[in-house]
Amino acid sequence: MKQFNRACRFALGTGGIWVLFLVLGGLLAFSSTQTYAAADSPDQVILGTSAENRAASLLLLSFQGPGTNSHPATDFACTSCHSDTTAVIEFPSGETISVQVDLTVLALSAHGNQSESPLACTDCHQTINDYQFPHTPLDSADLRAYQVAQAATCERCHQQTHITSHPGDDAAMPVTCTDCHGSHDVHTAEAWDSAEAVDRCVNCHVKEEVELNQADQLLPLIRSGLFTDEPNSDYCLACHSQPDRVKTFPNGDMVSLTIDKDAFHASVHGLNNSWQPLECNDCHQNHIFPHQPTETESARDFTIAMNSACQDCHVQFFDKAMDSVHGAALQDGNTDAAVCTDCHGAHDTPVPGVPRSAISHTCEKCHSTIFNEYAESVHGSALLEEDNPDVPTCIDCHGVHDIHDPTTAQARERSPELCAKCHADYELMTKYEISTNVFDSYVSDFHGTTVMLFQNEGSDVPPNTAVCYDCHGVHNIKSPSDPDAGIQQNLIETCRQCHPDAQPNFAGAWLSHYTPSLQNYPVIFLVDLFYKIVIPLTLGFFSLMVGTDIYRRVRMRLRKNKA
Amino acid sequence: MSKPKQKMYPRFRVMARIEHIILLTSFTVLAITGLPQKYATASFSQSMISFMGGISQVRVIHRYAAFLLVLGSVYHLFTIGFRWYVKGERMRILPELQDGRDIIDMLRYNLGLIQHHPKMPKFNFGEKIEYWAVIWGTAIMVITGFMLWNPIAITSYLPGQIIPAAKTAHGGEALLAVLSIVIWHFYNVLIKTRNFSMFTGNLPHDQMEEEHALELERLEAGGEPFPGLHLRAEKTRKRIYFFVTVGAGILIFVVLVWLFTFEETAITTLPAVTREVFVPLATAVP
Repeated sequence: MKQFNRACRFALGTGGIWVLFLVLGGLLAFSSTQTYAAADSPDQVILGTSAENRAASLLLLSFQGPGTNSHPATDFACTSCHSDTTAVIEFPSGETISVQVDLTVLALSAHGNQSESPLACTDCHQTINDYQFPHTPLDSADLRAYQVAQAATCERCHQQTHITSHPGDDAAMPVTCTDCHGSHDVHTAEAWDSAEAVDRCVNCHVKEEVELNQADQLLPLIRSGLFTDEPNSDYCLACHSQPDRVKTFPNGDMVSLTIDKDAFHASVHGLNNSWQPLECNDCHQNHIFPHQPTETESARDFTIAMNSACQDCHVQFFDKAMDSVHGAALQDGNTDAAVCTDCHGAHDTPVPGVPRSAISHTCEKCHSTIFNEYAESVHGSALLEEDNPDVPTCIDCHGVHDIHDPTTAQARERSPELCAKCHADYELMTKYEISTNVFDSYVSDFHGTTVMLFQNEGSDVPPNTAVCYDCHGVHNIKSPSDPDAGIQQNLIETCRQCHPDAQPNFAGAWLSHYTPSLQNYPVIFLVDLFYKIVIPLTLGFFSLMVGTDIYRRVRMRLRKNKA
Repeated sequence: MSKPKQKMYPRFRVMARIEHIILLTSFTVLAITGLPQKYATASFSQSMISFMGGISQVRVIHRYAAFLLVLGSVYHLFTIGFRWYVKGERMRILPELQDGRDIIDMLRYNLGLIQHHPKMPKFNFGEKIEYWAVIWGTAIMVITGFMLWNPIAITSYLPGQIIPAAKTAHGGEALLAVLSIVIWHFYNVLIKTRNFSMFTGNLPHDQMEEEHALELERLEAGGEPFPGLHLRAEKTRKRIYFFVTVGAGILIFVVLVWLFTFEETAITTLPAVTREVFVPLATAVP
């Protein structure tokens, strides 16, 4: 009896302590809830909301771990410490891991409080002994062992839905679920964009240079939609935006495989433009990973082989280019001949002709000596120094894709009209106070008349009379009045290129594009005037005599008939 | 309606008929090859030039025809010399005051102001106008043509402007000549009446009566068709003139050939220019 009484007293006494504990614990919990409710930062508001959801979710889920009922607000307890701390856990190996959890990321994750399957902290971190507070020390020797052990909890809900070539957690180099899918930032497969997924691959296989040991198994997996149905640019760029990646061709050519992602997306084929964006495999159609060895011997051969890719969309320009001098040279086996990408660039294709000087600089890449002459000319200097919108760039004379041989008879015969395209344009020329009479005055001259007739005949023999560029220059055109190189300075020398015996007066036979008037070339003007008067007078006299003669004859015949 | 066969009167000797054929041939060829060059931008001209084998060939033909015209002109000078020196003939082609009166009378007659056709001599005013127009025109065309043919030689002595001025004159004169032939000559010898005396040498009575009534009267009165002085030394003169003509002819021909060929005005073929077009800029290797 005495023993019973002692037992009751002990129970009551310790029960008081328990009651005290309960009251204190409740107060603590209440005060912490109050703290969050009083706070007004967004993160904490989300947390407040999540707390309600999570409480509800806990009831829905079937994880009935011990103490769950007695700990309805476990997450409150966890997050109160793990949301804002600089604390770290140190493994025996010396590695550390932060104990902080980004609650915002967690809330938006596949297991966040707004997801279809929200989880509480202890749903994963439920090795009870470890996660009762105060926590017992982790038994993992190092960070990796911890990650491997922790990832095993995924399999409690998720069957392994895809077989990767990755070795399992018992292999020498295990890859865990969380390595790819993440832990607190886990996404649903649908929400995962492939770029992010591939980044995870790249982390190990490109940056850490871990070799693929079963690469051949990867392609079917990709095709079966592991990451994406169609490998998109981001998928490729995950590797190809890494620096210092170089391919060596059989002949020793080395080509950078690094693509400037920003430059690509800024290109006409990139996402940052309103035109049709292209994915890598729109052009590189046989380059799905893992790559097959290229069949071409050299980098140049590869470029030429790839050129036909442009044809798929740009067939019209492609055909023109193939009919051009470049296309002809290429077909003759000249691998130096320009193909699409030589001018337009491959991955950084800019909007053509912006700025205009880019056009001539493009041609400069192969035709540097001609460019240097052009750069000194009246046209080139205006383009390059003033970005003048009116002067011709290379393509204005030579054409864009259908560049024809400029040395043919036809090219020579048609060249004056090429110049006239601008130089007979009144609006264009008035700006620069240049006469638009140059073409007409040229055509009315012996030289121009001859060239026009040759042109009309479609002669295959180039006319030996001068065309515009014979006097004014081809690429090195200067103003005729240029004090150093203008043809006015020493016109007779220009004449002597074709008329080697010409005497100084000979140059005066050329009217310098003037129309004869009383001021300029009055002799010609007066001769012309003479015939303008004499011809009508003479013909008028003849017509008078003939007309009156006919009048008399008709009159006499009528009279004779009457009689 | 067949007319009774008319009496024919001698009008042109063989020399004049040869001259006419030379002139006719060269003039026609010159006009056909020349006018399309003057109006080179017209599509009809371009068709004609193409038809004749291209501008280069057309120019060659034009120059051969020009050479023929000059030869014809030289021949004409020789025939003048023959008629003046050997035959002692008077130049009946020279214009006279009477020609002016004939023009006025002809106009008045055509208008019905007078009843009688003016009586006109061997060469009426129309023919004199034509003859002197041909002389003037040929002179202009030969001189300006020579300038255009040999601009370097010409500008060695004359200002350069003379060449385009010659071109203007050459074109203007050509147009004047061709239109005059079409309006005046063709009307008078082909349309008004068909006068083939330049080919046959003779003209029938009614045409003589209408156009050369004075000449007809003179011939009817027993006058010689080609009245000359009948010099006693005619045979000697003829012989002298033959040798002089042959000598001068050969000399003139040689000089003409030289004049027509001495100048290399321009290079005939363009010098071949070759240059390296593929000179790539140095590019960095990755």
